Amino acid sequence: MTTVSSPADRETRKSPLESLRALRADGTLAENYPSVAPLLAAMVSGGADADFRRAGNLLAQLDRQAVLTARPDTETAVVALTGHSTIGGVRAPLTAEFARHGVLVEDRLGDFDAYLRDLRDPASALHAPDVDLALWILDPQTLLDEMGTPWQADDLVRTAERKLAQIESLATAFTGNATAALVLNTVPLPRSVTHQLIDHESRARAGIAWRDFNSGLLRLALGNPRIHVIDLDPVVASGVPLDEPRMAAYAKANLGDDLLARYAREVAHLSRMLRGRTKKVLVVDADNTLWDGILGDDGPDGIAAATTFRGEAFGNFQRVVKQIGTQGILLAVSSKNDHEPVVQVLKDHPDMVLREADFARVNANWQPKDANLLDIAEKLNLGVDSFVFADDSPFECGLVADSLPQVAVVRLDEEPALHIEKLLADGWFDTARLTDEDRARAALYRTESERAELLENAGSMEEYLEGLGVRVKLAEAGAGDIDRVAQLSLRTNQFNLTTVRLQPADVTARVDDPDHLVLAIRSGDRFGDNGVVGAVFARRSGDELHVDNMLLSCRVFARGIEQTAVASLLAHAAATGARAVLASYRPTAKNKNVREFWPSMGFTPTATADDELHFRHDLENLPAVPTHILLDSTLEGTAS
Amino acid sequence: MTKEDFIHLVRDELDLPLGVDDLSADFDHVVSWDSMHMLRLVAAVERETGSRVPVGKLLADRSLAAIYERISAA
Repeated sequence: MTTVSSPADRETRKSPLESLRALRADGTLAENYPSVAPLLAAMVSGGADADFRRAGNLLAQLDRQAVLTARPDTETAVVALTGHSTIGGVRAPLTAEFARHGVLVEDRLGDFDAYLRDLRDPASALHAPDVDLALWILDPQTLLDEMGTPWQADDLVRTAERKLAQIESLATAFTGNATAALVLNTVPLPRSVTHQLIDHESRARAGIAWRDFNSGLLRLALGNPRIHVIDLDPVVASGVPLDEPRMAAYAKANLGDDLLARYAREVAHLSRMLRGRTKKVLVVDADNTLWDGILGDDGPDGIAAATTFRGEAFGNFQRVVKQIGTQGILLAVSSKNDHEPVVQVLKDHPDMVLREADFARVNANWQPKDANLLDIAEKLNLGVDSFVFADDSPFECGLVADSLPQVAVVRLDEEPALHIEKLLADGWFDTARLTDEDRARAALYRTESERAELLENAGSMEEYLEGLGVRVKLAEAGAGDIDRVAQLSLRTNQFNLTTVRLQPADVTARVDDPDHLVLAIRSGDRFGDNGVVGAVFARRSGDELHVDNMLLSCRVFARGIEQTAVASLLAHAAATGARAVLASYRPTAKNKNVREFWPSMGFTPTATADDELHFRHDLENLPAVPTHILLDSTLEGTAS
Repeated sequence: MTKEDFIHLVRDELDLPLGVDDLSADFDHVVSWDSMHMLRLVAAVERETGSRVPVGKLLADRSLAAIYERISAA
């Protein structure tokens, strides 16, 4: 077969899409799968939407098994799809969107219009135990096909109510029978529906019935943590057409390709969220990102974030950054400037919405930005893979993307009115529910600098810990702790001994089970209250207590809190008649520092299986609670 | 739109490894072709040329050459 070479191949500098095609042409795409994610990220941040679409078509043809053979460590996900219309158009974008996050997705597309069977039949592909996400794609015809011709507003009211009730019952049954998270979507109202009714009164009633249907779907997700609803109304409002009428008429593709592509992006972020891969830090540039102008050249009087046309656009961007910062995302500045003038602007420039206290770190210096991101990560004790970096400079964005591919780069440009849209285009910070700890996080990190000062002035670590006045409170997790404990299980990577991730429903099941013990660890010190910082999951089996996992937020390592929790747990086990406590450690890329944790608490190794280490404590010599800790425990059997 | 432009478009947009021979082949002989490919191809041609293609008529055509003929006639 003669293939025709594209003119672009003849150019020397390859675009990301051309690089991807070159890998495919060389037959090395599978073994080079880790380089796919950065190429896709470059297409997205460079605004190359058409290339990204084409990359999806290319990747959808890649042999999954070949990737897994060449790269057995590749993260995978299984997505099953069902719906009422032709939804095959979502496959290529899903492949690309997951690949962008480094995840190799297997999509299982059900038969056309088989959603009732797929949802009802426990043997359907949707119910398979290895499915991570079950996508039930709803479109306008899901409602409209159940009405006859002619129809009146009342028919739509009744159909919408009946359909919502049916969806609710099928969805609830599904979450009871299957393990996958169920993903629904709201259905934007087509004008070609409302305007079939010529009187305004009927049109208004139809509009209300349709919105009630969508509101009902959203409410369904509020009531069931296993159900997620992707709201397509805001996507359509942002200018993405609901459908392409000819595709709808001739191929029954009732949701257009562009909308399905945006839907796929939301699904991939949902998958990230469920895997606890939510970003935790937003690092922003300053000049021409937070304000109009270059501080070093124009001086504080020459920059603006209010009063001028462009200045106001920057001010609006600052408001959105602040908004994100109040929801548990840490903010930091990385700016090529002298430190003092940047801090001065944040302190007293009249235009600024964001102030010094809004940032966990201000890194203004002349070092390369990748080095600064690593420095910020170290100071905050967080992985750089939890960072989002926004900058208007293509050079800085390119540098960070090349040097730290695990950082999500938001490439802003010279148009500040588009900064907000670009920052929010991806759901990097999406989370299921905010906890009190999220709302207070920025303040918690701010007190870190005061702790660091105390440490610097202390003569020794002991003196520092004495001065810190650490309080630990241990109690069985209650209903109010579930979200936070699940969040810790999903987000904690370093002090996570077995890295078993638990959704809120899983935590609830353990809290309600009398054989299980779920312990919430709270801490505080003279600088403030830290809230719930850790958890222990254990279960009784005969006269042994098995510790399934233990977690501690990286903010509070090495203050004796972990030793206190384990000492108390062992004392509790001994006091309640256990003869031994068993524990294990399962290594991941990020938890190497806690490999020796159990031995350090007097546990002895018993076995190693699949590089998982097993330990046992016979409860003869119980470890003591560190002397600098003030312990408040409601557990039976007090540690001394 | 020249024949070569058309082949580039089919190749780039649908990621089908097309040869010149495939232009006249029946769809059933072209690897993994389905009716959605056709509609996507039309969308791509429209984006490229800025003018509308008569999709309804195209659906009956069984080869890329026939589609190309209609598109270039439009």
